[in-house]
Formats: sequence, C-alpha cells, structure tokens
Amino acid sequence: MKSDDKSQPDTIQKEDSENTNVNRREFLSSATAAGLAAASLGASKQALTQEAGQPLVAAIAPPSAAQEVMESDVPPGYDAKEAQEYFVKNPGSDFMVDVIKSLDFDYITTNPGSSFRGIHESLVNYGGNRAPELLTSPHEEQAIAIAHGYFKVTGRPLAMLAHGTVGLQHAAMAVYNAWCDRSPMVLLAGNHMDITSRRPGVEWSHSAQDCVRVIRDYIKWDDSPVSLQHFAESMVRAYKIAMTPPMGPVAVVLEGHLQEDEVGDQQLQIPAMTPTQPPSGDAGAVEEAALWLAEAENPVIVADLMAHDQEGVERLVALAEALQAPVVNQFGRMNFPNTHYLSQGANVVAQADVILGLELYDTWGTINTMRDRVHRDTQRKARPDARVISIGVNDLFMKSNYQSFQRYYSSDLSIAGDAQTTLPSLTEAVQSVMSGSRRMSNGEREERWRAAHTRAREQARDAARYAWNASPVSTARLYAELWNLVKDRDWALVSDDGMQSRWARRLWPIEKHYQFLGRSGGAGLGYGAPAAVGGALAHRSEGRLALNVQRDGDMMYVPGSFWTAAHHGIPMLTVTHNNQGYHQEFMHLQKMSARRQRGIDGSSWVGNELRNPDINLAKIVEGMGVWAEGPITDPSEVGPAMARALSVVDAGEPAFVDVRCQPR
Amino acid sequence: MDKLGTMHFCALVLIGSWSVMGVAQESAADFSEGRALFESYQCWQCHGYQGQGGSAGVRIAPTIYPFEAFLQLVRHTNLMPAYSPNVLSDENLRRIYEYVRSIPEPPALEDIQKLSLY
Repeated sequence: MKSDDKSQPDTIQKEDSENTNVNRREFLSSATAAGLAAASLGASKQALTQEAGQPLVAAIAPPSAAQEVMESDVPPGYDAKEAQEYFVKNPGSDFMVDVIKSLDFDYITTNPGSSFRGIHESLVNYGGNRAPELLTSPHEEQAIAIAHGYFKVTGRPLAMLAHGTVGLQHAAMAVYNAWCDRSPMVLLAGNHMDITSRRPGVEWSHSAQDCVRVIRDYIKWDDSPVSLQHFAESMVRAYKIAMTPPMGPVAVVLEGHLQEDEVGDQQLQIPAMTPTQPPSGDAGAVEEAALWLAEAENPVIVADLMAHDQEGVERLVALAEALQAPVVNQFGRMNFPNTHYLSQGANVVAQADVILGLELYDTWGTINTMRDRVHRDTQRKARPDARVISIGVNDLFMKSNYQSFQRYYSSDLSIAGDAQTTLPSLTEAVQSVMSGSRRMSNGEREERWRAAHTRAREQARDAARYAWNASPVSTARLYAELWNLVKDRDWALVSDDGMQSRWARRLWPIEKHYQFLGRSGGAGLGYGAPAAVGGALAHRSEGRLALNVQRDGDMMYVPGSFWTAAHHGIPMLTVTHNNQGYHQEFMHLQKMSARRQRGIDGSSWVGNELRNPDINLAKIVEGMGVWAEGPITDPSEVGPAMARALSVVDAGEPAFVDVRCQPR
Repeated sequence: MDKLGTMHFCALVLIGSWSVMGVAQESAADFSEGRALFESYQCWQCHGYQGQGGSAGVRIAPTIYPFEAFLQLVRHTNLMPAYSPNVLSDENLRRIYEYVRSIPEPPALEDIQKLSLY
C-alpha cells in the first residue's frame, strides 16, 4: 500500500511511511512514549523533576502543511459532507492510546466488548498492538488475575479493558483479590452515558449511571472522565495512586462518545507521570524501635506483604543479621531466603520479648490464636510481656465495607510507612544503638539459629518421605519430583503452595524475590491459573522457567487461562494438585457434622466433590492447544511425565501434567 | 490445670508410657475393615491416605500411640473436631486404629535419592 492512499486509515499509512512521512498523531504518539520513558519509575529524580509540570505536548512541533492536507482529505468518491457521515479522521480513542502509551504499560488484558470498540481499534491499528500489547482472556476474572500475577513478578502494573457493566461484574472477584493483595492495576471500563446516542439494545444493558460502583468498595480510586483532557489527567492520576503504597487497583471509565468522536480542534496535553516516593517511617519512631530491638533478649521479625523486589529481601537480611534475630516469613511476598539460617518457623514468636511486624496482614493473628469451637475462645501465643512494633502502610488507606483487614491489635509502637523503604534507616539505627555486649552475643545467637534451621530442614525432609509411594500421589513427592527436574534451572514458582502443606517453602531453596509470589489476597478461587499465566508471561522475557502447581478446584473457574497461555505462546510447566474436590470445604463439613453429631460417614462428599464423573483436566487443556498428559496416579510415573512436559516448555509452549494427589 | 490441659496431659502420659508391645495380631480382613472405616469417616482428608499428615492434620502413621491415647486425641484434644461415640463408636475407632497401626514405615530417607534436595 502506498502512503498516499487516502482510502485507508492513516494508522496503516504509518507502517509504510515510517521514517519518512510521519503524521501528526503518530508523531504525538512516539514523542509521548519517549517522554514518558524518562518519567518511568526507574528514571532519576533529576529527570523526573525536569519533566514535572511540563505537558509533553508542549515539546511537539505542529504538523506540517502537507500533513494537514493529508489528514483533512476525503476518500475518493465522497464529498466532504458525506465523508463526515462515514469516516472519522482523528478519533478520541487514538489520543487515549497516546495517554496509555505514555504510562508504559507492557500489556492490556481484555475480553473484548463493544463498549470499548473505539479504543480496541485504536490499540490495534493506531497503537500497532505494541507497548501495550493486547492479551486476550476468555473471562474478565482471568484478565484481572493475569495482571495480578504479572505485577507480583515485575512490579509493573498492567491495564485491563472491560465492559463497564457485565465486564466489571465478571472481573469483580479478581479485583477483590488484587485489592486484598495490594496489587495495582488500571481497569478501563467502557460505558455510554448519553442516552440520546445509545444504540437500541445491548448498548443500554451494557451501560450504567455509575458502572464502577460494583467494584468501588475494593479499589483505591476511580473516575468517569467527560472530556479527553479529563481522561488524560485522570489516567495519570489513577496510575500514580495505584502505584503509591499501599498499592491497589484503580479504574477509569472510557466514555463511548469520547472514544469514537472526532478530537476536532481540542488542544490536548498529556501530563507527566511523576511517581510518588513511598512513605518512610518517622525518624524518631524508627530510632525508638531500633532501641527496643537492640535491647531485646529475643527479638523476632515477622514479615508478610513486605518485599516489593529483591532489594527488599536484601534489606531484611541486613536487619536480621544486624540483630541476629529470627525471621518468620508469612509469605505474602517472598521476603527472606528460606536457606538463610535466620529463617525460622512461626513457633519462635512465643519466645520473643520484642516482635517486629513488617507489613503484616494480620498482626492480631500473629500474636494470638482463636480456636474454632462452639465457643470461639482466644489465646495469646506470644509472651504476656512481649512488645510489638508494627511498621506498615495498613493505617494509611483502608475501606470499611469488605473486611479486608483482621482483628484490631494495639501495637506498642505503630509506625506508618512502607516497610521496605523504612528498613535501611531502621538497620542503621540498630547498628548505632546496639551495645558492645549485645554485639558480642551475636556469635552465640548465630550458632543457635543455625542449629535450629538445620533441624527444621531435616525434619521437613523426613516428613516428606511419608506416603512416598502412595497413590494418590503425596504432595511432598509432587514437589520433590518437580524440584529434581528443575533444580539446575533459573526457575520461578508462579503458584502458592499453601494448599499443598507448603512443600515448596519446606523443601525448595527459595532465595529470589521472583521465585515465590505469595497468596491470592482475598482467597477467592479462580486466581491460581490466570495469576500463574501472568507470572509466566513476566518470566518469559527474562528466560526463566515458570512452574505452576495447579489446584483442580481453582482451575475449573477459569480454565481458559490455559488457552491464553497457548494463544500467546507463554511457556509454563503446570502440574496439578488434583484432589478431586474442594478439600478445604470437606474439612469444614466434617467439622460441622462432628460438632452436631449427625454423622460423618461419607456425607462430606456432598457439594464438595469434583468427581462422578471424574474431570479429565488434561483433555480440557489439550482442547485449548496445550500439550497435556494425565491423569497420573502412579507416583513413579510423575517424574517422567514432568520431564516430557518440560521438553515442550523448553520449546516455548505451555505444558500440563495432571496428577491425582492426596488432599494436602 | 484446666480441663483441656488435663486431657492433653493424660494423652501425653499415655503416649509417653507406651512401650513396645508389638502390633496386635490382626487378620488382613480386620485391617481391610479398618481401612474402609478410615476412608468412609474421611480421616484421610486431614491426615492423608497413609496417615502421613500435612498442613491440615498431624501425622498419625506409623503410630506408636496406644489406643487410649488415640481415643483421647479423637474425642477430646481440640487438635481436631471432637468425634463423639454418637458418630464414631469405640469399636469402629479401634478398627481404624488397628488399620493405622498396620500402615508400614515409609522408605528410609537415605533410600530416597530425590529427597537429597540441596
């Protein structure tokens, strides 16, 4: 196609005219992207300061006369009036794409919908489906969870496109998980507010007065822009809010007419995105905390949603070593290497005289316990005289309806601030105030913790041998087989092991932040498979081997996740922990039956089983283009099947092995 | 010591005082019946099909518990839902116990190369 073919959209012209005839919008797009690269989170403070307050459009030269003519021309065979009825030369959604590109999203996850058809077309043709690239998901819940998993590997948010009505309704549970898990993302919701221009039929039922209402209880912020300039400013604001700790999802509504109508002669500007530096704990309070810790006989550190990246892990190692204090990793994130001798079990909390909680989701539950009996009584696990220091962002932002927090605990010293950001000053203060005699005791402490760490690891190995040859396959064997296959590779687990007796944490050396992604957040099923795909997508560009231990119950919510992996060529080795039911609920039903003395024999299957007929998970994913094997029940067959699957993954594709396993 | 503490203490004393008495002579059929009860009462949900335990329940096999301690654990200890005689008779519990005792030792650690780990 020639660049002077006026019958075609000028975004197509862009391909042929590259480096020669750059049209105005293309120029705007590229200039914006370049400008925002400097304004990315990794840019220097100096560069950010220089960018701040300067609309990027101000640096862009006006279009040439030739470009003006090219854009104002009408296609052959049409007069100007008729062309206005049929064609849009400069749709608002192109500008929206400029704004989105300025924020440097890698991908936009989506399930397609007519309420955002304008921006969909712009992303593909005007934006070239690059930076961001559209990632197709057969369900909005899946699209959100992919963004969730992606963020936890990269620290970079994705955007997600959805119908403002049915799309957000589908997405809601996954948004809630992300909210609980402090995972940012930008939801873009299509909507048509102006009733005088809605098409009859579905455009009405897919519109709402306030479409974000369905998720507003568990997002940080949202807006419904009524102009393109409004959109630009709200998108940048939304991104900034999402990425400021405590991080979380945000939403921006894409008004239908703003997407599809001509920009006209509006003078539009894209604000620079200047990241907000995360809050650090008050200096005086940090010094007080350091004094308590340095003077404590048995300080214990507990970390949950703490480390944002490997730097956070290393900062925690530095503090723990300065104190020679054990670290209990609650694994909301990978906070601390489990191979480090100071990595200890939760039982050490009972010995502590000072407990430092870092970004704890549940401080009360760290200190206390509640027994699930007819009368739920509580007991304190910690010493009565133990003092508790909390550092975290929980108190900085919270909502009230959904109880995405835990029972109130009166910490003795509560410091509002991002824990990872606060750690260097705390470690420095600890080193400064620690007495000579206390420092002298560090050698003995190290020896003691090394011995305890070695004992715990040996106990874990010993526990793993029980039911080694059992069928269904023991979860310990599942993880041991997988480990032996991948131990010499740059691997990353993209699933949680909490429902498999935490065997990855107990048996595998987890030392890198990216090797373990933590929990779902809200414990809503349907997170596992798509979050794993999101994680695997992030690892793909780093050449890492993504490993997913997939629960059958979770998989049945969003099996289409595996289609997305196949469609987009996302390599990931999945092995199932297939226990043919909702095992947690089995136990709850057993508990209720026992408590009410109504009999236990066999009744727990009712409502909880995923059998009769048995589900052939391998066939499901095979039908979506994924190499698959199973179900495997013989433990000796697990390793060889995994090896065959790995060869597929090494070729750049997802592979799947279904293993019938023990319940936990 | 409260009631709960007393029961824990009793259970521990019974466990601690257990001497090696040899596994009772039981027929394969008896173990089979115990196994069926172990499965139908779904002990395996928390303890695993071979009593190996996990995050949901402690390891119970191979057991060195005397039956009296086993009974205390099932009826009273709060380590698991209290299964009263109304839903699980002493007789059936004993059959389950005998089955659990019949579960053989797993391979030794040194015989499992794949648990060499790191």
